[in-house]
Amino acid sequence: MTDTEPTTSAGAAGGNGHEPVTMEFLADWRNAAYNCFSSGHKFCREVCPVMQVTRNESWTPTAFHANVVAMEQGELTVEDVAEDYVNCTQCGACELRCPNTLFTGDFYRFRTRTVDLVKQMRALAVDNGVHQPGYRRWNELTDERTHEPVLGDVPVSQDRVRDWAEGLDIPIGGETILFVDCEAAFYRTSVPRAVAQLLQRAGYEFGLMREQWCCGGPAAEMGYRDQSRRFAEHNLADWRASGVKRVLVLDPHDYITFTEDYPAYFGDDYDIEIVLVVELLAQFLAEGRLTPTVPIERTITYHDPCRLNKRKGIWQEPRQILRAIPGLTFHDVDRVTQWSYCSGGGGGLPVEKPELTARISASRLDKAAELDVDTLVSACPWSERPLSEAGEARAIDVVDIHELLAESVGIEVGGSTGR
Amino acid sequence: MTITGTAPQLSDRVLAELTDALGGEYVLTSKTARYNRARVPAPFPVHRWRERVPDLVVLPGSAEQVAEVVRIANAHRIPIVPRDGGTGLTDGAVPERRGIVVDVKRLDDIKEIDLDNRTCTVGTGINMLKLNEVLGAHGLIYPDDPASYPCSLVGGRIGTSGWSLVGSRFGHTRDLVLSFELVLPTGKLIRVGDGGGRKVSKSSSGYQLKHLFMGHQGTLGIATEATLKLYPKPEAEFSPFWAFPDFDSAYRCVGELARAGVATFAGAVLFDEWKVDYLRRDDEAYIPQPADVRALVCAVAYGNDDEVRAGGRRLLRIARDAGARYLGDEISHGDWAARHDRYATPLHGRTPAGQVAPMSWHCEDAAINYTNLPAVRREWHSIVARLRDKHPIFDDWGMFFYTSADTGVDYLTEIDVGIWEQELDDAAWAAWVDAKRDIAAVALNHGGSISACHGSCREGEVDLVPLELGGGYDVMLQVKRALDPNNIMNPGKYGLQRAYEEAP
Amino acid sequence: MSAYRFEEQHTPPPARQVTDVAVERFEHIFEVDPKLMTVHVAQQLFPNWDTLRIAASRGDHLEWMHRHWAAEAVSGQKLLDELDAGDGDR
Repeated sequence: MTDTEPTTSAGAAGGNGHEPVTMEFLADWRNAAYNCFSSGHKFCREVCPVMQVTRNESWTPTAFHANVVAMEQGELTVEDVAEDYVNCTQCGACELRCPNTLFTGDFYRFRTRTVDLVKQMRALAVDNGVHQPGYRRWNELTDERTHEPVLGDVPVSQDRVRDWAEGLDIPIGGETILFVDCEAAFYRTSVPRAVAQLLQRAGYEFGLMREQWCCGGPAAEMGYRDQSRRFAEHNLADWRASGVKRVLVLDPHDYITFTEDYPAYFGDDYDIEIVLVVELLAQFLAEGRLTPTVPIERTITYHDPCRLNKRKGIWQEPRQILRAIPGLTFHDVDRVTQWSYCSGGGGGLPVEKPELTARISASRLDKAAELDVDTLVSACPWSERPLSEAGEARAIDVVDIHELLAESVGIEVGGSTGR
Repeated sequence: MTITGTAPQLSDRVLAELTDALGGEYVLTSKTARYNRARVPAPFPVHRWRERVPDLVVLPGSAEQVAEVVRIANAHRIPIVPRDGGTGLTDGAVPERRGIVVDVKRLDDIKEIDLDNRTCTVGTGINMLKLNEVLGAHGLIYPDDPASYPCSLVGGRIGTSGWSLVGSRFGHTRDLVLSFELVLPTGKLIRVGDGGGRKVSKSSSGYQLKHLFMGHQGTLGIATEATLKLYPKPEAEFSPFWAFPDFDSAYRCVGELARAGVATFAGAVLFDEWKVDYLRRDDEAYIPQPADVRALVCAVAYGNDDEVRAGGRRLLRIARDAGARYLGDEISHGDWAARHDRYATPLHGRTPAGQVAPMSWHCEDAAINYTNLPAVRREWHSIVARLRDKHPIFDDWGMFFYTSADTGVDYLTEIDVGIWEQELDDAAWAAWVDAKRDIAAVALNHGGSISACHGSCREGEVDLVPLELGGGYDVMLQVKRALDPNNIMNPGKYGLQRAYEEAP
Repeated sequence: MSAYRFEEQHTPPPARQVTDVAVERFEHIFEVDPKLMTVHVAQQLFPNWDTLRIAASRGDHLEWMHRHWAAEAVSGQKLLDELDAGDGDR
């Protein structure tokens, strides 16, 4: 992961009763955790969505690092700490706002990696036989069905994963395929329908994946890394077998999985090009390949998806798209202020603590309501369900940016927005 | 009675009473909850972490709940440690005798914004940056600006009597907090201010209790609500940085800037050669600077656009005449905006061989008059040089001097020291404590105060507080005993256990 | 728009030595000389996008902090030019 062999023995040498897998983890994370622990100020705290609504310092990004130091000192065990690590959406605000990233991360090529730490600690818990019941069930069902159980008791399956594309006449396979995440493929099907029709309207050639499984990212996020790796291997093998060179991604979570998890799994062998659809569409607008002409009379604000804005630095293209749509009144909130915003829908939080997700979404909608808007636009299907639920109480509609652009281009999108 | 070193074991009965008062969700007994509330940014020997861990943590949601917790603790003689942001550098929030940590972060509501009188009333668990995001929409600002501005909380600022980076213009926490509500060690809820009115900035009625209940490091009570003085959000900001070939000319320049009487002047800072060398390690502004840059000065002004420009011209003229080289807008703007972020990066640390090592940032501070700055600087660097000679896990990160007031009378004087806690053993810690005591002694020998900013209750420096305050320290003991008869509020801090050991 | 390609991301531009302790790979982004991080702390695997993301975010954050405190940051250079021209020297 981050470090070479530790150069000092310190507290870890004796083992402190930890299992070998835990000792290996502590050796990996020793300097990274200490780099946070010993920093004077904790600028992560007030940007953390969980901390903002709970005010509980045990669930702050810096506590997640301090626990590692305490484990190394033999003060805490993985059993002591595992449950705390549920309280994270992996939004990345903490690690970006940390001065060790924002001011010196690029200089030293050593930045704060709280998201990785949370994933690895959840995995360490699983390796030690410490499971969170919600995570375990979710991943068992995903393993059975090859897709996340996003519809609850209504089964999802391989036979239904392309149902969203009904009537759109999209071929299977080809050099470029569109990968659709589980939430969009089964729940908010209006999003992939909008994306596919926009690409068709722009004359962009693409197909659907031959046998698409869940990307594997959620399993990695919740600590089930072997399962994640199996899913990744399946998908990569399927791409290779059908000659895929380029994967289009509409979901920011998939984008993270394909540009961070898969490279970590496959290294130099990873030769697939990954394209984020929202960037592609902004390029089409700039080139005149798409022109929104149908006025959309809404007063909107834009929700920066955490995995685009915070974790990837992608915030300009969605705004370029929104500013190209006629009729919109756009009350924008800058990207830095939005480092503190989150839907609460990521990192498995709604699986284990739906009430906390709801509080975070409610807080996000309160911010939107202060702007007197009637619509909150997002670019992340996973955010849209909790945000929509919170929006209902405030009479704010939650719309996906692709749906909005498609409407303005004159496309009858179809599909379901989940309501 | 005399409270001894460790707290009585918390009984099920105490736990039940606390749970009744707060609800079980807000009484935390897990190890992670307790270990993570034993920490503040100041370095300490990590292998002794367990010595500082409380018995439990409560997260009250109202002043009444805070009062109830304190009453329960007082009845059972259980130590209480108030915790706000936990960003202080003098261990105020560290439990020395276990007990109950009262974490007030849930008290973060904005209760009132009074646009006509320019005040707001808030829970003490609110952070200043977050508050200013709301106030900004009204064209207002609460200009209390510590280095920890993005994460420290209003209540902690009261408990430590905080120092602000723009205090020379707007005053420090003691000036900006008009009044506040606090829970006394017996559980009684009172309000203190200048006189009785909640929003009064100057009163001659009664004792001036507001100052007494600021900076006590949690030994006299827990602030739960504060009424704050607000300013118009400045139209303009001006933050020139200048380079000098030597310390002496920079020192003369900073004195002239601070004494100039410019009304929008919000502060001036002087950085010495050690600090410049340190900045050259990893700061993009100073890596490319020529070798003859050996000291830096910056000045800051805030206010209405026309006034800032007029004052700015005067400051620039003073600096130009003092031989300063302006470093340009990019560095000036960038360095000032980065003022909260540049300090606390462990990878600033270097071993004597020049290798990067993760070190905790620690700063020893004092309040020193302008005329004594050069002497204090020499003596402090010698102390840290001797320390590094013996223990290479320490690293001298240089000194700066920062105006505390608008006349240039005294400066927050700070030496930053990197401490590699991973390697810190008992011997190195003892050497560090000795060095801290020596550093404090230098400040007192030169007519200063042990701390302008951080407080003075850590090991080492705390030994000299009675010497600094003289007869005033005896009054502190009497006040402590009168207000906290059972010594439950943050026992062990400031040597105040003496109040219970002998008749003061 | 930039597609993600592994090989591109893991091939940093060549380093130019700036001082004894710093190098420059991307324009205006300094990095520590890697030889200083060989004993106690090892550098992480850093794809190019991450370096560029952090540097851009830093700029955005600094700009945000100015706006948070005041509507405008006054240019010292302009005031100094006025002084040197004699028209601000009162």
